[in-house]
Amino acid sequence: MLVILVLLYSPEGIEALCSAVGVDHTDVRMLMLAWKMNAEKQGYFTQDEWHIGLKALRVDTIGKLKKRLSNLKEEVMKPENFENFYLYAFRYCLTEEKQKSIDIESICILLDLVLGSQFRPQVDTFTEYLKIQNEYKVINMDQWTNFFRFCKEISFPDLENYDTTEAWSLVLDNYVEWMKEKAKLAAA
Amino acid sequence: MNSNSNNSNNQKKRNFQIEAFKHKVVVDPKYPEKTWKILEHAIQEIYNHNASGLSFEELYRNAYNMVLHKFGEKLYTGLVSSMTYHLKEMSKSIETAQGGLFLEELNRKWIDHNKALQMIRDILMYMDRTFIPGNHKTPVHELGLNLWRDNIVHSSKVQTRLLNTLLELILRERTGEVINRGLMRNIIKMLMDLGPLVYQEDFEKPFLEVSADFYRVESQKFIECCDCGDYLKKAERRLNEEIERVSHYLDGKSEAKITSVVEKEMIANHMLRLVHMENSGLVNMLLDDKYEDLGRMYNLFRRVPNGLSTIRDVMTSHLRDTGKQLVTDLERVKDPVEFVQCLLNERDKYDKVISLAFNIDKTFQNALNSSFEFFINLNPRSPEFISLFVDDKLRKGLKGVSEEDVEIVLDKVMMLFRYLHEKDVFEKYYKQHLAKRLLSGKTVSDDAERSLIVKLKTECGYQFTSKLEGMFTDMKTSQDTMQGFYTNHGAELGDSPTLVVQVLTTGSWPTQPTVTCNLPAEMSALCEKFRSYYLGTHTGRRLSWQTNMGTADLKATFGKGQKHELNVSTYQMCVLMLFNNADRLSYKEIEQATEIPSSDLKRCLQSLACVKGKNVLRKEPMSKDIGEEDAFFVNEKFTSKFYKVKIGTVVAQKESEPEKQETRQRVEEDRKPQIEAAIVRIMKSRRVLDHNNIITEVTKQLQSRFLANPGEIKKRIESLIERDFLERDNADRRLYRYLA
Repeated sequence: MLVILVLLYSPEGIEALCSAVGVDHTDVRMLMLAWKMNAEKQGYFTQDEWHIGLKALRVDTIGKLKKRLSNLKEEVMKPENFENFYLYAFRYCLTEEKQKSIDIESICILLDLVLGSQFRPQVDTFTEYLKIQNEYKVINMDQWTNFFRFCKEISFPDLENYDTTEAWSLVLDNYVEWMKEKAKLAAA
Repeated sequence: MNSNSNNSNNQKKRNFQIEAFKHKVVVDPKYPEKTWKILEHAIQEIYNHNASGLSFEELYRNAYNMVLHKFGEKLYTGLVSSMTYHLKEMSKSIETAQGGLFLEELNRKWIDHNKALQMIRDILMYMDRTFIPGNHKTPVHELGLNLWRDNIVHSSKVQTRLLNTLLELILRERTGEVINRGLMRNIIKMLMDLGPLVYQEDFEKPFLEVSADFYRVESQKFIECCDCGDYLKKAERRLNEEIERVSHYLDGKSEAKITSVVEKEMIANHMLRLVHMENSGLVNMLLDDKYEDLGRMYNLFRRVPNGLSTIRDVMTSHLRDTGKQLVTDLERVKDPVEFVQCLLNERDKYDKVISLAFNIDKTFQNALNSSFEFFINLNPRSPEFISLFVDDKLRKGLKGVSEEDVEIVLDKVMMLFRYLHEKDVFEKYYKQHLAKRLLSGKTVSDDAERSLIVKLKTECGYQFTSKLEGMFTDMKTSQDTMQGFYTNHGAELGDSPTLVVQVLTTGSWPTQPTVTCNLPAEMSALCEKFRSYYLGTHTGRRLSWQTNMGTADLKATFGKGQKHELNVSTYQMCVLMLFNNADRLSYKEIEQATEIPSSDLKRCLQSLACVKGKNVLRKEPMSKDIGEEDAFFVNEKFTSKFYKVKIGTVVAQKESEPEKQETRQRVEEDRKPQIEAAIVRIMKSRRVLDHNNIITEVTKQLQSRFLANPGEIKKRIESLIERDFLERDNADRRLYRYLA
């Protein structure tokens, strides 16, 4: 265990860990692990984080860690945990000090990773929209949170219960309008 | 009948005992019958017009005695049967009356009966006062009326005939015949005297029904053949007729009922058809200013439910349509001044209609205002055009106009201004146009300018006009500065050109890009003198010459000695002065010497060389456009019939498309901080507020300047969230919280 610990304080260490557990480091489960460990910085685990995290996971061998990873997903997907995980995912990707938003490309990858399994159609269309619009170059935490709420509350793909006069983020207003235009053209 | 007083002094003089008057003890069993017979006979005589031979006192006493001796019942019963008998006799003679005499006979008999009744009542007064109340019988007078009612008015041979006769007469009068109104009045009064139930059942109800039928038919006939104006005249006439009829011979209470019948049949039932009648309906009346007809329509329609709202709705939709056409008419928008004048004319027209014909009705004024507000804002250039209209008036339109008339025009402009949703756009243009007016000295009246600023301030508050006032202040201060300059340095300036400088405070005037050019030597020295003078008295300031503005008066002598005074722009001056030292100059040389930016320079040269009557320069080649290889000469052959020639204009013009876009963009940019300030203001005081309420509050706060777009407000909120001024509530995502 100690040997691995030394290697872990770096992205290379993380990669080594990933190969040891047999999970790709871009796999969402690594993110979930980071969440569980409450890791601050993407690609790194601090010593404390590692210790506390492992304790929380109740593992002390690689074997057990491997096993734990599989039911970690279940744990994360629980409604009471998921929102927390979702918000964590955004913060985790902020690389610079005082950074408040993430560029569109990264957001699209993150959305796919985090929400793709649950809300595939919403994520696909939203990321498509984000890529073709040019009003927003970045997405901030507020908009990120809004999107999750959108997925949960708004019926899809008809978007019947979406009301632009409510407090939805403007980027979502524009996205909905774009979706409706597409639907009209498709029907015509 | 004569009255005697009779005293009975059958008193024994004994012990000064005054005994009560003792009635004759009646022993005679035939007494009641005998007494009744006397009275019965009297009644008969009364009905036979033979009352003069009767003694009131005797009859009264007889009646009195009967009641006293407890024979009131017999008396009463006798009265009833006697009166009934006589009434039946009367009825016969009424029934046999022929034709027109029927009513007369009825009337005569009624009068007779009333006279008789009065006498009978007097005779039987004791019974009326004592026996009748105690025994719950009908009093004599009332009894008389009831018997008349039952035996005459409700007799089968009279009842229907009476009603038909009355209705027939009314119909004849309605068709133009003259009838005996006095007789009608008496008969109707008779019915009224018999009680409201009789009047209503035996006359009023059928009268109203028949009238309704009559007017239904008549209105149908009229509406097929009359135009709207004529129809309304007829309806009004009928209405007045009915009112007059009531006052002459019907019960006053019937007025409201009969008028509502006429109103319903003639007006309410045909309201829409009238209003929308082709070629003569409401719209036509409005177009042709038919005040009388409109007034009549208003007065008639206000009597029926939804009458006025019908008129109002049609007027509103017509106004909106014409207004919309007006503001989107492509021809009209080519001339902004004309555009605004048309709007004012339209408003004047409807103002007149409402005051002359619609009783200055507030609801109509509101409809007028809301319609104007609707269509004025359909054209996004309305704010610009209104400012241009004002500019035109303040430049020349109001020349020679009296002070009161000036106020009237300005007040009308303010009225249009109030309708604008985008008042901040107006402000921007107004500022531009005002600056041009002030700087070119082209305002007709300083008082008029100030008066308008005061009106704008009253309407929109201090902030709206503080900068505008700053412009005026600058003009005044500049005057004082110039005076000071010449007082101090006048002597040494001597032969130099006369300089007039306007010093403008940057914040107050519309922003201009600072561009300089090379001034001719004569000017630059002078300008430097001024600059050092000014900065001497105002330390810490910076002056920059705005060479893209300003004018100069040049004295020029041409080839054949013709002298002219040329009024030119600063740029034009720079170019012309070069020719004092050269006969021929190429475009490039001019550009180099003056350093005027090329697009401005091209326009400048064009105005000097290519405009007929103002071509003080000659160009080779003689093409219309300025080419970079062109050469310029003084036009020695220049002539003008005027000594003073004005070249170059600074008049405010309708903006070109790119300029318009630029102004609009600037307005949009200016709005962003205003929206944010409003949001912060509101959130600071409310602390926590939900989305919809913020939108409402912000819109309300900014209303006096422009109509805030909810999408734009949302954007500003998000920006404020990002900058940590606000946050969303964790539990309820519709709420925003202010972060101190």
